[in-house]
Amino acid sequence: MPQANIVRVVNVHKYFRRGSERIDVLNGLSLEVAQADFLALMGPSGSGKTTLLNLIAGLDRPSEGQVIVGTDVISSMSETQLATWRTRNIGFIFQFYHLIPVLTAFENVELPLLLLPLNAAQRRQQVQTALQLVGLSDRMSHRPGQLSGGQQQRVGIARAIVTDPTLIVADEPTGDLDAKSAGEILDLLVELGTTLRKTIVMVTHDPRAAQRAHRVQHLDKGLLVDKPAMAYEHA
Amino acid sequence: MKYLTLILKNIRRNPLRTLLTAMGTMMLVCVVTLIWSVLSFLDRQTSEKSQNLKLIVTERWQLPSQMPLSYADILSKGAPREPNDLTIADRDSMTWQFFGGSTEEDPRNRSPDSILFAFALEPPKLATMMDELDELGGSVAAEFQRVVDKLAANRQGLVVGQSRLDLLKQKVGGRLTLFSLNYPGIKLDLEIVGTFPPGRYDLSAAIHRDYLSSAMDQYERETGRRHPMIDRTLNLVWLRVKDRQEMAQVAQQIESSPQFRNPQVKVETASSGIAAFLEAYRTLIWGMRWLLMPAIITVLAVIIANAISISVRERRTELAVLKVLGFRPNQLLCLVVMEALAIGVSAGLSSALATYLLINLGFGGVTFPIAFFSKFFIPWEAVVLGTIVGAGTALAGSVVPAWSARSVKVSEVFAKVA
Repeated sequence: MPQANIVRVVNVHKYFRRGSERIDVLNGLSLEVAQADFLALMGPSGSGKTTLLNLIAGLDRPSEGQVIVGTDVISSMSETQLATWRTRNIGFIFQFYHLIPVLTAFENVELPLLLLPLNAAQRRQQVQTALQLVGLSDRMSHRPGQLSGGQQQRVGIARAIVTDPTLIVADEPTGDLDAKSAGEILDLLVELGTTLRKTIVMVTHDPRAAQRAHRVQHLDKGLLVDKPAMAYEHA
Repeated sequence: MKYLTLILKNIRRNPLRTLLTAMGTMMLVCVVTLIWSVLSFLDRQTSEKSQNLKLIVTERWQLPSQMPLSYADILSKGAPREPNDLTIADRDSMTWQFFGGSTEEDPRNRSPDSILFAFALEPPKLATMMDELDELGGSVAAEFQRVVDKLAANRQGLVVGQSRLDLLKQKVGGRLTLFSLNYPGIKLDLEIVGTFPPGRYDLSAAIHRDYLSSAMDQYERETGRRHPMIDRTLNLVWLRVKDRQEMAQVAQQIESSPQFRNPQVKVETASSGIAAFLEAYRTLIWGMRWLLMPAIITVLAVIIANAISISVRERRTELAVLKVLGFRPNQLLCLVVMEALAIGVSAGLSSALATYLLINLGFGGVTFPIAFFSKFFIPWEAVVLGTIVGAGTALAGSVVPAWSARSVKVSEVFAKVA
């Protein structure tokens, strides 16, 4: 059954300036992602994967072109509007987890909920549900330093899904994990897509991770390409 | 309240740095509190009242003022000459003669601890005219009244502050002989009849006016010549009037009186008299108010700014993560400012409170001799001031680091991390 597009990237350019030099990262790239799709973005270092992910997640704005998520044209939002929008619409999974070390797993997952109009009981309910989904109900009061890499990434995933976002973006979610933990995390992401019908956009260098996605798109020199020119080296 | 846990946990993240910042803040708030207490006391003493004014009558052209004792009675009444003139009631006047003496007869053996300066006055006036002693209440007032009565009954009595008594290594009931420093050839045999209530007069002393006079008479009998200080023994006369109108009238009565031609006298309010006396300390007070205090407050703000800056620099990635999660730039700014405020307010409050309790109850005041004030106490307002100084400097010190936290660029931070 055809699905509505949840992400539309339309002719997007992104360039940075270093002194008088202009560095083009994305060159008129267009992309669509359907609801409940699990898209893997691959490409060599410097191909613009993370920049594209940042644009889709509303962490950066394009130099030209439009980025539309759901019905929101996020490319024309201010920084403050984007922040508010991210709270409700984006779940971000980092390569290095980036949990707050002084907070427990529960408190880390609760962080995005502090920005929503929820009372303590509602927050507790949602955090418990999220931690249960990632299989860490028994680690709620542990600090990140007391958890393994795989467990920390699970907490990161729980933090990403706790607000029930429209879109989950993951920047090399298995890049810092051993093969076994990486497999478990990918299982979890696939399950989120299947059971919760979450739309996931994942950047990865790992072909095995990319294979778990519904489809794979390759980037090279700021554009989508059909086939990779060569095998990517792990960054 | 939702962010309180995050703020507190961030503060506890590096306990040593938080502790050192708090200790630095506490030390400087303590110094600010002490300086402010001295300055505010002096300000209160030199600010003009509109009612219940105390006037000082002194020699017009000479400092220190030295008038003949014959002026005392007339000045104490306000020098009324006409039936409609205002007469000051006996309870509203007081004469002061300054007597300095040492327990050591041989000048070579004298040390600051052996020296005593006393007000020679009419004993009852101690409880009715002396600043602060005239406002005592309850059991302290009753106890002091008993001391005053003893002095009134014993012409050779001595009332002395507890700190001075300790320096003299004496106790109430003890006896001592004072060899005068400013009344050549006079020595007084005194019996310690009591102490001043703890506070302003801890280093002061008071003796019976009549005993000084009789000692000078004795000098004349023994040497066959008048004592050289006999016509210069009256230093100050204090008068209390109801309001400014009475003050103007009494001043006019005294200053126009032909009885005070040689030497001439002047009348001024106690506050302006004290202000004139403090003129010698003007540079010191100015420096304390406008150099030392601002310098301390600036140092305090820099210390806090430094600590918070380090903390923000260390947490750039975390701040970027919070931005990714949806924290708005101003929320991050508030988070950093609130952390600084939490440290500043708690350190400022605890420092000022500890200073208040330690100085007032532990040390019995801070010794800072200036003019004729020897000790200062910390007013309760200083606790509020200390808290405000802690909060204000924390706020000032956190502005730059908080702005830097607000401006964290997520893409730049994660580009560096990757």
